[in-house]
Amino acid sequence: MSTTALESKLAALWETPKSVYGWFATVDHKELGIRYLVTAFAFLVIGGLEALIMRLQLARSNMGLLTPEAYNQIFTMHGATMIFWYAAPILSGFAVYLVPLMIGARDMAFPRLNAFTYWTYLFSGIFLYTAPAIGQAPHAGWFAYVPYTLTVYSPGLGMDIYALALIFLTISTTGGAINFIVTILRLRAPGMAISRMPLFLYSTLTISFVILFALPALTAACIFLELDRRWGTHFFGIANGGSTFLWQQLFWFFGHPWVYVIFLPATGMLSMIVPVFSRRPVVGYPFIAISTVLTGVVGFGVWLHHMFTVGMSDIAMSFFSAGSMTISIFTTIQVFAWVATVWKGRPVATAAMHYALGAIVMLVIGGLSGVFTGVIPVDWQVHNTYYVVAHIHYVLIGSNLFPVFAGFYYWLPKMTGRMMSERLGKWSFWIMFLGFNVGFFPMHILGLLGMPRRIFTYKPGLGFDGWNTVVTIGSFVLGIGILLSIINLLRSLRKTPDAGRNPWNSDGLEWDTDSPPASYGSVHIPLVASRHPLWDDFDESADPECDRVLDEGRLTPTTTWLDAEPVGIATIPEESLAPALMGLTMLGFFATLVVQMVWVALGFVIATFLIGCFWMWPRTEKEVV
Amino acid sequence: MSSAVQVPPPRTSLSTLPLDQERGIYAMWTVIATELMLFVCMFGAYYYLGTNKDRWALETPPELKYPLILLAILLSSSFVLVWGERQLKTERFGAARAALWGAVFLGLCFMGLQVIEYVSHWKKLTPYSDSYGSIFYTITSLHAAHVVVGLLLLMYVGVLPRYGATLRTPHKAYKAVALYWHFVDFVWIFIVALLYVAPHFQGAPHVR
Repeated sequence: MSTTALESKLAALWETPKSVYGWFATVDHKELGIRYLVTAFAFLVIGGLEALIMRLQLARSNMGLLTPEAYNQIFTMHGATMIFWYAAPILSGFAVYLVPLMIGARDMAFPRLNAFTYWTYLFSGIFLYTAPAIGQAPHAGWFAYVPYTLTVYSPGLGMDIYALALIFLTISTTGGAINFIVTILRLRAPGMAISRMPLFLYSTLTISFVILFALPALTAACIFLELDRRWGTHFFGIANGGSTFLWQQLFWFFGHPWVYVIFLPATGMLSMIVPVFSRRPVVGYPFIAISTVLTGVVGFGVWLHHMFTVGMSDIAMSFFSAGSMTISIFTTIQVFAWVATVWKGRPVATAAMHYALGAIVMLVIGGLSGVFTGVIPVDWQVHNTYYVVAHIHYVLIGSNLFPVFAGFYYWLPKMTGRMMSERLGKWSFWIMFLGFNVGFFPMHILGLLGMPRRIFTYKPGLGFDGWNTVVTIGSFVLGIGILLSIINLLRSLRKTPDAGRNPWNSDGLEWDTDSPPASYGSVHIPLVASRHPLWDDFDESADPECDRVLDEGRLTPTTTWLDAEPVGIATIPEESLAPALMGLTMLGFFATLVVQMVWVALGFVIATFLIGCFWMWPRTEKEVV
Repeated sequence: MSSAVQVPPPRTSLSTLPLDQERGIYAMWTVIATELMLFVCMFGAYYYLGTNKDRWALETPPELKYPLILLAILLSSSFVLVWGERQLKTERFGAARAALWGAVFLGLCFMGLQVIEYVSHWKKLTPYSDSYGSIFYTITSLHAAHVVVGLLLLMYVGVLPRYGATLRTPHKAYKAVALYWHFVDFVWIFIVALLYVAPHFQGAPHVR
């Protein structure tokens, strides 16, 4: 069969109908990946605007822009939005879009689960934002310490919505993690042994396992909180034998691994981008892979460093201080590997490379201030000051936002088929880099001067005014830089496609597809012979006998998880409304639980189950023998 | 250098490969991993709340009669399902379906008896009495919720046409659901050991 005939046959099998039904029912990972990216970016913009409002309030002493309560609500929404609804989902967006292309599969292992996790992610975000919409936003910071979050001190529905929205989001995130694990372990193209996997897959696989083992602690903590708030139990009330530290233990047992969940995929992206623009394979591939996995593992042994000031035994503090030092070794290995790659290569200064190198610089600064705060006496000194605020922003913006922008400049041509302006991209980078460092570096100084975090204003004459004005100016400059990149993207969308298949001369399989990729990926399932499929002299898609087309249905090969030897054919389900509907009924369940309408909530549970039955019911007519 | 061709994989014709039925089992294992971690966190909270307390649990340790009977019921339901899976492998679909509904019956017995256990327990302890009561009822009712989910899944597979056992479906529904049921069973062993039996062996620290 000729290639065009094959293409049209595959397209007929894989394309989602272009209708309202198709829009809600799609299971195409490329469609869903872009939705993830757009939704997460929208949350970034919302969270960013909240940050700018806070900075206006803090620009000078005794400003009256916000009331204390409004300020508390805004910093809580800012933290929760950025950490839960932006930082991890945007990386999921990249992974949902790229993982199947990188491994040469036609879709994810569970495409409907993929759609379900997107819809639940969206609905949980909307659910969280109903809280400010009804004027009762949560106000206790993103880690919501008890007893302040109990009903005595936090009446109203804000904290209930916070707790239940987080439980809702954990369902989405866990579903996504399961999907990535099975996809990466089972659906890699024949020949892509685990020793040849792109490093982004290592980080995605690692964080998926971390999610499986860390998120239940958050779920348990939020269940306890909600039970204490509305159902009369005594987990956190001291008077009845509860413990306020229980919340902190559970939250940080989840919270610190979560830092690596929003950090590791971004380092994985750097490990993909830096070698391409250094024009050589990455230095120390096995070391990066192993240190990625070890970061995920050791990340479970450092959580008490968030709690050094609550009072605990010396041995516990020493252990967790040592753990925090240990984990910096693994990040250092990656940083040295990237620096060596640039050093040994012939670097090309594209916009993506600017962002990648800027990310490494800021990651080092953030990492070093992290080592400082891992030292117990320093931690006691700077605890709850702006030093910690500076640290978290250097780590999260250095190791999440800038790599994400590097990823945008690198992979958006693949997704849209259009090149963005390099010139505008570099301008955007320098403005963001300048704004970020001007905006956040003085926070270190403010912290050392003794400015506590989470204060809505401060008195004049403490020496805070000048630095705070600088911080406010810097944060607005950062915002302008981000805006320039948005303009850059929108401008590129008006052009005719000009990216070609592989504009950067990259090594990964995702660049062996059209830009934007066809709904089925590549016509011939690739055969992988090295770590850098497009840089070696083996033709991945050479398939004269059409042995690797699988055009009998929606099919993709499965392989063994270690050596990627082909062992089976996976059927990929067609589009369905069930995932979106199930997301809706679960939204109904959580919304009615907030107002304690137990019987209605039970009704939604039954509806969810029935939709699940419909979803899973075997449809034999379309399957192969 | 690593960009050179390593060992080229053998040419394979993919279209002759068998239908993959393993993805669902992989996914079920990951579900079990994360659910197990949820129970681990709950047990962790149980012990965390119990540390440094003058008094933990009740004056008298919880009665063992009901939880042990409940354990026997759940264990036997797991054995019934294992037998059912064997029947499935030899394609005796009727027997496999009967085993499934047998497990459902035993699961319902478990739930009924747990209600009786709760009623007798409630006289001494409620979730509202103290943190011990809160965590005790949270763990056991979370497990009960898992039993309900397991029962619903079993019943669903029980009405499936040939319950996904034939070669024509992409998932082995029977095996996956049986795996989940074994997990629910497994958790109950820990609940009996840690929440019911352990207080009997703690000397009397819980009454000091």
